[in-house]
Amino acid sequence: MGQIVLTNVSKEYAVGSESLAAVRGASADIAKGEFVSIVGHSGSGKTTLLSLIGGMVNPTQGNILFNGENIYTWTSDQLSEYRCEKIGFMFQSASLLPILTAKENLLLPVAFRSVQPSNGMDARAEELLRAVGLGDKINAYPAQLSGGQQRRVAIARAFMNGPELILADEPTGDLDEETEAEMMDFFLRMNEQQGTTFMMVTHNTDLAARAKTRLRMHQGVLAKA
Amino acid sequence: MTRLLSFSVKNIKRKPTRTAILVFAIGLLVSALVFSLSFVQRVNGSIRKASERLGADLIVVPTGARGATEEILLENKTKSFYMDRSIMDRVAAINGVAAVTEQVYLVTLATLCCSVPEAMVVAYNQDTDFIVGPWLIEKLKRKLKKGEAVAGSESSFNIRLGLVDVDSKLFGSMFKIVGTMDKTGTGLDNAVFITTDNLNDIIKSGKVTVKPGQISLVFVKVNPGVNPATVAAEVENTIIDADAMARKDIGKNIIATLKDMSRIFTMTIILAAIMSFFLVWAIFTAIANERAKEVGIMRSIGAKESHIMNLYLAEVVVIGVLGSVLGILFGSFLSVVLAKGFTIVKQLSTDLSMTERSLIALASFVGGMLICVLGALGPIQRLKKLEPLTVIKAE
Repeated sequence: MGQIVLTNVSKEYAVGSESLAAVRGASADIAKGEFVSIVGHSGSGKTTLLSLIGGMVNPTQGNILFNGENIYTWTSDQLSEYRCEKIGFMFQSASLLPILTAKENLLLPVAFRSVQPSNGMDARAEELLRAVGLGDKINAYPAQLSGGQQRRVAIARAFMNGPELILADEPTGDLDEETEAEMMDFFLRMNEQQGTTFMMVTHNTDLAARAKTRLRMHQGVLAKA
Repeated sequence: MTRLLSFSVKNIKRKPTRTAILVFAIGLLVSALVFSLSFVQRVNGSIRKASERLGADLIVVPTGARGATEEILLENKTKSFYMDRSIMDRVAAINGVAAVTEQVYLVTLATLCCSVPEAMVVAYNQDTDFIVGPWLIEKLKRKLKKGEAVAGSESSFNIRLGLVDVDSKLFGSMFKIVGTMDKTGTGLDNAVFITTDNLNDIIKSGKVTVKPGQISLVFVKVNPGVNPATVAAEVENTIIDADAMARKDIGKNIIATLKDMSRIFTMTIILAAIMSFFLVWAIFTAIANERAKEVGIMRSIGAKESHIMNLYLAEVVVIGVLGSVLGILFGSFLSVVLAKGFTIVKQLSTDLSMTERSLIALASFVGGMLICVLGALGPIQRLKKLEPLTVIKAE
């Protein structure tokens, strides 16, 4: 059995008196260490699928297993621990906290861990920022960074707690081509060296092609690309 | 935890004007609490201490002279009233009475009779006294002689002269001030004491209204185990010309006035508390709306509801502590400086002890913190329940 197993997962949203199906009967079995890309048009249900796997929204039907456990039988605190310690999220926007510096933004998920690491977190945050090319912006506030730089801080933050799974929703959307390629190299390096599983939503078919497994979403239906 | 606390502090610094308004509002509420609690405790405590220090279980006064007696004993006012000495004998005969002693109150008038400013002169009976003596022992280790007087610790001429062996003319007779009393914390601190041996000469001078055989009041001690209130009731039932006040009833008139003032203070504080509560609620509701996305981000990267709660509670607590500490300092300053403008406080000389001040500060601190935390609790509860995806997508 894979690290993430989706069985007939659907999600419907109520829109007025009607219901809109964002995800329809999605099933998948993703092994640990896989690099999965998901392509699809806007509104095809890609973000909702990642949110379902991330424990941020309840499915209307179906099961999502992580390492063999159904995540939607967990309590709110257990889901928070899952998001904090097992998953690294990259959102469509950078989603940084404006009053924290780049380094402090990276240290924030560490503060939410149930067991606080004794030391070395400051050094890890600086190392990750250097890895995404922001070694000179460690103490800069988001307002002092460009959109692309903010995006790279958010990428670094996702790796801060050493996650088993990265859920990336168009993580390179604001980046120029060169930086986009650098970030993709970084992802593949983390995937190969540390065995981190990746599920990456993207519009960029070139990037998607670099993934080992390619999936496509169309009108809420998940299928192999 | 340290990281979250430093995040809270950064949040507080985010909008300094808004933080200052909150701190100021809590500070005002707490200072009003400190001031009113200090005021009420000071007056209440002074009355209680004064009645305890008098050393009598009961005071018997002429009918209708209760108020005047309280004014003399508690408020340092100058009054005189008289009743027949035979009343003392009748009181002494009542079951349960252990000892009685009389005092006669005279008022000096500088231009007419005396070389001192207006003051109370208390003539007491040295043979039966248990009121004045205990405060004299340390200062004067002998009985007072005729023509000698002792000044209360705060009597006007004692304060002005600060020395003894001064001759003063009282009601046509010369008196030598041979000592000063220890502080009693009662209105007697402002009086001058002579013995009743001098009364005949004073009455003969014609400069006083008291007549031979008259006294102002009788202090009564009851036997152990006897309830002073029972003896007081017996006095009032059997002696129509006298009123009796048990120790616990001394100051009733002032306390009644104080209760009205306390009501005004209470109303003011309740209104201030309600205003502060809604101000905190409104500001934290605004904060909740402003920071919804941030909370969504934090929840999606692993913050539990308890983390969000603690994060924002820490912010409230820091604001509450700042406001409360400032309020305690300002309220204490007001209770020292502004309270002097109140006659009732000026006339009651006892100050608050360090313990009383600390307890008032603690109670006010708790009050300020409670209002702050309760006001913010609703918006914080709402914040912690935000669904991460809903918030992030809404942006």
